[in-house]
Amino acid sequence: MALGGLLQRLTRFDRYLIIILSLLVGISFLLPFGRQAGARLIVEAENRTVFSAPLDTARQLAVEGPLGMTRMEIKDGAVRVLSSPCPQKICIGMGEARRAGELLACVPNRIVARIEGDAEGATYDLLSR
Amino acid sequence: MFNRPLIPILLILLVALLVWLRQPGGESMVSRTALVMGTLVEIKAYGEDRDRLEGAIDAAFAEMVRLEQLFSSHLAESEISRLSAATGPFAVSRETADLLALGIRMVRLSAGAFDLGLGRLKDLWDISGENPQIPGEQALRRALQGTGPDALLLEGQQVRKQAPDLQIDLGGIAKGFIVDRAAELLLRAGVSSAAVNAGGDIRLLGDRQGQDWRIGIHHPRESGAILATLNLRNRAVVTSGDYERFFVRDGVRYHHLFDPQTGRPARGCQSVTVVAADAASADALATAAFVLGPHRGLDLLEQLPDVEGLLVTADGRRLATAGIESVLEWH
Amino acid sequence: MTSSAVDPVQLEQARQRVFLALFIALAVALNAVEYLLPSPLPWFRFGLANILTVTALYLYGPRAAWTLVLSRILIGSLLLGTLFSPGFLLSLSGGLLATLLMTSALQCLGSRIGPVGVSVLGALGHAAGQLLIAWLLIVQHPSIWLMLPFFLLFSLISGMINGLAADMLLEFLLKHEAFARHRTSRQCCSATHQTSGSDVT
Repeated sequence: MALGGLLQRLTRFDRYLIIILSLLVGISFLLPFGRQAGARLIVEAENRTVFSAPLDTARQLAVEGPLGMTRMEIKDGAVRVLSSPCPQKICIGMGEARRAGELLACVPNRIVARIEGDAEGATYDLLSR
Repeated sequence: MFNRPLIPILLILLVALLVWLRQPGGESMVSRTALVMGTLVEIKAYGEDRDRLEGAIDAAFAEMVRLEQLFSSHLAESEISRLSAATGPFAVSRETADLLALGIRMVRLSAGAFDLGLGRLKDLWDISGENPQIPGEQALRRALQGTGPDALLLEGQQVRKQAPDLQIDLGGIAKGFIVDRAAELLLRAGVSSAAVNAGGDIRLLGDRQGQDWRIGIHHPRESGAILATLNLRNRAVVTSGDYERFFVRDGVRYHHLFDPQTGRPARGCQSVTVVAADAASADALATAAFVLGPHRGLDLLEQLPDVEGLLVTADGRRLATAGIESVLEWH
Repeated sequence: MTSSAVDPVQLEQARQRVFLALFIALAVALNAVEYLLPSPLPWFRFGLANILTVTALYLYGPRAAWTLVLSRILIGSLLLGTLFSPGFLLSLSGGLLATLLMTSALQCLGSRIGPVGVSVLGALGHAAGQLLIAWLLIVQHPSIWLMLPFFLLFSLISGMINGLAADMLLEFLLKHEAFARHRTSRQCCSATHQTSGSDVT
């Protein structure tokens, strides 16, 4: 049998080595190498960065601005504004941001949330709204 | 050689190291955001010298803040506020004169669909304020008195209002003008590849690492969706839409793009995007085309040289000028 | 000392040089052929030249393997016009790490490790070295590590196949008179590790 003949060419150490390396390669498929790339939320208040977190962990956060607390939520890889002390609530109406380069802003409360990182998924560099 | 492999290894490593060190460090990108003019301004710049990019962006933001102090009608001490308050001839700065000259040209070009004198009308509606309201016909007509193509006379740096109580509002042009000035400052600082984006008023310098900038156009009705992308370099893109600032009463959307003829929000379009050489013209033309409605608006954009555009009509149809098709991708 | 054509040491040295030169030429040719073949992804190359590296390592030792690898990379990139380009740096770093792993494995483990084991280590070292340099110098983006598992799996398989090919080549070459000396001086060919495999326990 050809396969048996091929196996004869391996020393015992070779066989163990290949088994161990195969296991390691298998494990490497399960590790999250570089997978969080492109999904970081940066929050700035009054033009200073006050918060930064990966987008893949669900959480809520509150950021203090001149008018008071703006509350945001990270969920399912996207961020949105839950509540804001500003009069117009435009920031809540902006919906969610999930792709790199997307922005949410509460202009009256001087808070900016933007997604940073990998722009591969995005189909544009800048948004004209 | 054969018995001393270390020597060739070291030689190759040395040569490789030297070559690598001599190579330029590659382009880096600096991106900065700040809140200026009541909107989110983002400047992205590409170049080899990071410090130079940072310095140029700082200077551009500083210039934007300075010009905002001149042009804002919300600041009581701005030049425009003082011009609105003035009853006789008024001397303005070089920058304001430049902006007003361009504005007056746009008013004439659009046959009054774009107007610089809508200050009182905007105060009346108070769309962005705490208590927006729908004014009566009488109030609207009063607010529109003195507006029109001949409302302002500019001679050098001297401005004369035909009606003493005319309130100047540069809403549809100042943002683009400031974006242009920021872009020019970047260019003068030696930055050849950059983008200035002030809440959707975009001015592009050069290309993005050898490729076109891809500009996403916001969908006027689906939040977060993209209507189209434009592949551009060295251009300005501005979108005016009825979704930016509005209030809804009894199921009707009242937005901030007023028709100077009626004093009411223009109803022909959902959004208009204009591509031009400079953001100030694009800004004014987007407003004008929106007010004129889809057909006359598109005609205006078609007839102007070096100006292209696309729009979404009130019933959701998509139209574009003929010259834009090569760079336009609908989504 | 009089030099003579029949001095067995000198004869053997000359023979080694000639064969190594042949190996280098073959390795460069294999490299170039592989470069010209269509590949699904730019970095997924089979590394056929490593068959010759493993063979040279077993026949003539670590120094010969180093010479072969470095010459192959240098001449190969001269030939393909990629000298000192990013691709050259990738190839160099992959080659260095692969050869380092292969020679040190053989030196540490001796006859316990066969050509297949050495070849697999070399292939994985090549993949890891390339990716490391690509990450450090060229892409500098963590998403490059997304490719690592696929890259490693591919090199594991190609390493095994190349190793088997090297073992067959060794078996074939050692039958020839020109390599007769190595039959006794090195325990590496398939004929020997069928027995040595059983007494390592």
